[in-house]
Amino acid sequence: MDKPILEVKNLSVSFNAFSGTVRAVRNIDLELYKGETLVIVGESGSGKSVTTKAILGILPKNGRIDSGEIIYQGEDMAKYKEKDFYNIRGKRISLVFQDPLSALNPIMKIGKQITEALILSGKYDKKSAKKRAIELMEAVGIPKPELRYEQYPFQFSGGMRQRIVIAIALASDPEILICDEPTTALDVTIQSKILELINEMKAKNDLSIIFITHDLGVVANMADRICVMYAGKIVEFGTAEDIFYRPAHPYTWALLSSIPDLDTKEKLFSIPGAPPNMLAPPKGDAFAQRNKYALAIDFEEEPPFFKLSDTHYAATWLLHPDAPKVEMPEILAHRIERMKEANGIVD
Amino acid sequence: MLKYVFERVLAMLVTLAIIVTMGFMVIRLMPGSMFEGNPDMSPEQLAALEAKYHLDKPLLVQYGYFLRDAFTKGDWGTSLKLYPNVPVWEILQTRIPISMYINVYSLLISLPIGVILGIVAAIKKNTWVDYTVSFLVVICISVPSFVFATLMQYFFAFKMEAFPIIYEPTAVGMAKLYSLALPIMALALSPIARVARYLRAELAETINSDFMLLAKTKGLTERQATINHGIRNSLLPLMNIIVPMFTNILGGSLVIETIFAIPGMGGMMVNSINAPDYEVTLAILIFYSIISLSTILLVDISYGIIDPRIRMGGKK
Ligand SMILES: Nc1ncnc2c1ncn2[C@@H]1O[C@H](COP(=O)(O)OP(=O)(O)OP(=O)(O)O)[C@@H](O)[C@H]1O
Ligand SMILES: [Mg+2]
Repeated sequence: MDKPILEVKNLSVSFNAFSGTVRAVRNIDLELYKGETLVIVGESGSGKSVTTKAILGILPKNGRIDSGEIIYQGEDMAKYKEKDFYNIRGKRISLVFQDPLSALNPIMKIGKQITEALILSGKYDKKSAKKRAIELMEAVGIPKPELRYEQYPFQFSGGMRQRIVIAIALASDPEILICDEPTTALDVTIQSKILELINEMKAKNDLSIIFITHDLGVVANMADRICVMYAGKIVEFGTAEDIFYRPAHPYTWALLSSIPDLDTKEKLFSIPGAPPNMLAPPKGDAFAQRNKYALAIDFEEEPPFFKLSDTHYAATWLLHPDAPKVEMPEILAHRIERMKEANGIVD
Repeated sequence: MLKYVFERVLAMLVTLAIIVTMGFMVIRLMPGSMFEGNPDMSPEQLAALEAKYHLDKPLLVQYGYFLRDAFTKGDWGTSLKLYPNVPVWEILQTRIPISMYINVYSLLISLPIGVILGIVAAIKKNTWVDYTVSFLVVICISVPSFVFATLMQYFFAFKMEAFPIIYEPTAVGMAKLYSLALPIMALALSPIARVARYLRAELAETINSDFMLLAKTKGLTERQATINHGIRNSLLPLMNIIVPMFTNILGGSLVIETIFAIPGMGGMMVNSINAPDYEVTLAILIFYSIISLSTILLVDISYGIIDPRIRMGGKK
């Protein structure tokens, strides 16, 4: 593979909160290659949004990057000042937000919200910006764009607003699109339409995508590679096939099991307990408390990444040569077998 | 939008009618009578006078006479005690302009100054700039305006002789503004503080909103995002406090006018209640109601203009 276009190395982010320092992201590495869709998956609070905000330099005031590099176009964006981001945000790297209901300014016309950045960047005048906006609205599937152009967010449905947010993100032809759970606030049918739209836009505009979700089921059809995040750390990463068919970390097993089955429509089980308090991340493996396969060492020392293949790594002591052999839950193994058969995959 | 304005105006008229009715009743029911206790008058004269002004009739009948005169003849009654036999409307005409002059000027200068202070404090939140502004805000809100007025009068007018000590009735144009500068400033301090405090809170919250973040991620600079999205969106709720602010100014004005010997509505209100001079009191009450209600109306309508959700009848 060639060089990644975006590379996050050893990134740590923390927040000053009343009760102490929240270590929201701890030493993560990410690589995004041209034209791929990289999915980051993890429970609520695992640090997914914080990672994307750190990349774009929009961390809240009480947050800071403790260490690490964010390499883009040969420069380390972790060292950027606010001013340096003005040529990156929206223009090279765009972000689609979690909640389309609050991401649009309620008292500004939709059209203006799309053209605003275009005009301010100086590359478009009013007229050409409007033309571009209407093209974009058409492309993301807004009917009667000329009419809609003059309307306000409250006149749009949730799904349409999310399309507008995507149109805004695409307006300046970015190279990288970061989607932070762009469909969580929408109902299931709209959800799949928005995903289709993102896929379509990706092909059309030659995008590389970082897609954040807490639901692996949503991204099965679009993911090229998947990073599994837990408590501010990446615990397993690999190609979509690696993660779906050969998951190695107990947390990934748990995540996969919590996807409702396509045939039976039931969840195998959900993960017991709650994620650890990030004010004081536990010693050793953060998942150990909720992990029935946990070994004694999991409570003592953080597991390093063990290599499973050139593309597939997982951070769990279960993969240590001296560890007792543990298989994934049988019920999950069965389901994976069925999926493999359905998709015609043989090992 | 037309329907919206119509509804507002109607609501305003209904409110006004209620205020006038209640005001009329309360004023007439106050202890004492206009002619009572006058040693020069015989009981017969008293009875004749009361009959002339319908004061011997039941309250509701009196009210009926009042409404009839007000609507058919534009006659709001005659002052009987403070300025005997001068029509109330004429008295008000000499008093209203000067009061409104200082009140409206106070409002007009307090809005931009308050807005700027609020924006600066919000953008520089938790720095010494913010702390200084917040400190001044607390002082200006908690100390009543007549204290500032007295202090200003003493230092700026008496000691430094930078301004006239009391109002000069002959001044016109800029000279008039100059001679009224101190009362205007004294009245403006508390509204400035209110606006600044409110805007600081609003803007600080708006700055953290999702659409501000979107504005930044789509490539706007901090400054562009703050101006185009932050400030505009936080000015909207500011309309909420303009009405209480203006009534606050009107109230403060009653006292300030006395301090600077300004022949406005202030002194007259108190005198007419003490006299008692029913018609004058009622007229002043009606006047202040109309002013406050019009302010509310104006604010409601501008709300409609700024906020599309209201203008287009969408849900809020
Ligand atoms: N401004 C902040 N101050 C303090 N802690 C914060 C702040 N923002 C985020 N955090 C903490 O950082 C952690 C990661 O939050 P993040 O928003 O990245 O979660 P997420 O993975 O995006 O979850 P979700 O799926 O709910 O969006 C959480 O524990 C959260 O409490
Ligand atoms: Mg999130």
